[in-house]
Amino acid sequence: MSNKKIQMIPKIECGIVIDHIPAGDGIRILEILQRDPGLKNVPITFGMNYQSNKLGTKDMLKIQKEDLCERTIQHISLVSPGVTIKRIRNFEVVEKVSIQPPIDLINLLKCLNPGCISQNEPGLKTHFVLSDPENKRVTCVYCEREFFINELSPII
Amino acid sequence: MKKHDLISMHDLTVDDIQIYLNTAARVEEIPLKDRFTLLQGKIMASLFFEASTRTRLSFEAAMYRLGGNVIGFAEQAATSISKGESFSDTIHTVENYADVIVIRHPKEGTSRHAAQISYLPVINAGDGTNQHPTQTLLDLYTIVKSFKKIEGLRIAFVGDLKYSRTVHSLLQALIKFRVNEFMLVSPDSLCLPEYLKRIETDFPVTFVETRHLEDAIPYADIIYMTRIQRERFPDQIEYEKVKDSYCLNAKMLKVAQNTLKILHPLPRVNEIAPDVDETPHAEYFQQVKNGLIMRQAILLYVFEVQL
Ligand SMILES: [Zn+2]
Repeated sequence: MSNKKIQMIPKIECGIVIDHIPAGDGIRILEILQRDPGLKNVPITFGMNYQSNKLGTKDMLKIQKEDLCERTIQHISLVSPGVTIKRIRNFEVVEKVSIQPPIDLINLLKCLNPGCISQNEPGLKTHFVLSDPENKRVTCVYCEREFFINELSPII
Repeated sequence: MKKHDLISMHDLTVDDIQIYLNTAARVEEIPLKDRFTLLQGKIMASLFFEASTRTRLSFEAAMYRLGGNVIGFAEQAATSISKGESFSDTIHTVENYADVIVIRHPKEGTSRHAAQISYLPVINAGDGTNQHPTQTLLDLYTIVKSFKKIEGLRIAFVGDLKYSRTVHSLLQALIKFRVNEFMLVSPDSLCLPEYLKRIETDFPVTFVETRHLEDAIPYADIIYMTRIQRERFPDQIEYEKVKDSYCLNAKMLKVAQNTLKILHPLPRVNEIAPDVDETPHAEYFQQVKNGLIMRQAILLYVFEVQL
């Protein structure tokens, strides 16, 4: 079985592999990729529920493009912190990083508080700080309310 | 030079708060006639995008007491914002006229935003339901003045503990000063939110919750009364049920400790009967006076005036 799983996802010659995605998070990462205009017409392979020694089951994504923009990486780190981004060249992994959410989240998420100035002043970028990484909670710098990351809609 | 904004109690360490408390104590030692020159030639912009007469008068009086001048507006209707001007345009206009900006605004985070975009120091005079740091500082100053300490005091909060930002902010500040025992007196529908009780400290903090004001009177060093605000209730029937929950009168205070002090951010409705005013426990008008002192201290700190 473990040999077969490798055959099931075609290798890419050049591009980005997002690996070690906890099973179920992959679809949410795919949504982020779909919103990235830089990935329009870029072939993406998505695999779900592979066996993983570390995670039990995992999802995986392969993107046939050399770079991912910083914003997209930040959005992915919010949805699924700890996933691995591998850069592939000539079928070889040339770089491998585990991504963590940034401490300052600038204009990535929309504040849920309708009374918050960030929702009422045109042009004002939202700003959250990662106040509780363990529980994936962020605090709005403006209204000082704390939210779970998955309660907040992303800013594309 | 770093400008001294005052936006949120969350930005302040115990040492920062102590600077404000010490400055306020120092201000009181200076005779009125000698204060008049301290901020001569300075202009405070008092931008009240929402009416709050007490806070505005206190800030403006503080500035005048120090010899400074005030420009500004008392409500949004009087300004070009009502003609559609953006908030940032208002700030960038006003900053040409003044040396410090005081802002009251119905939206949360507005003072933070103003402090980010302006080169002038900004003082938050209340941003929606979020913060009102000068109120918390004047409450702390009132407590220190009465008891010469903060740690070890037993404080009872009474009334609307759910929505009162004054209570939330003071409670958090008191815990910074290692106060570890609180009594929470409220109707069931207006209890203190749970997240405020889950504060990380290296010492245990006890909350005693009760519905009865009588429980708090013999227990407390300080009773902090609040008004139950009609506008907080989506359902007016709910308001009618609880609005008269707590009415403190002089007779009830017979069982109080001699040193008990009663605080209230004012305005009061009927939470404190007028006969309490005559007792030595009434501290709320002193609190108003302390507010004026604290706001002078804050302005002097903003301008880095050495006393
Ligand atoms: Zn916010």
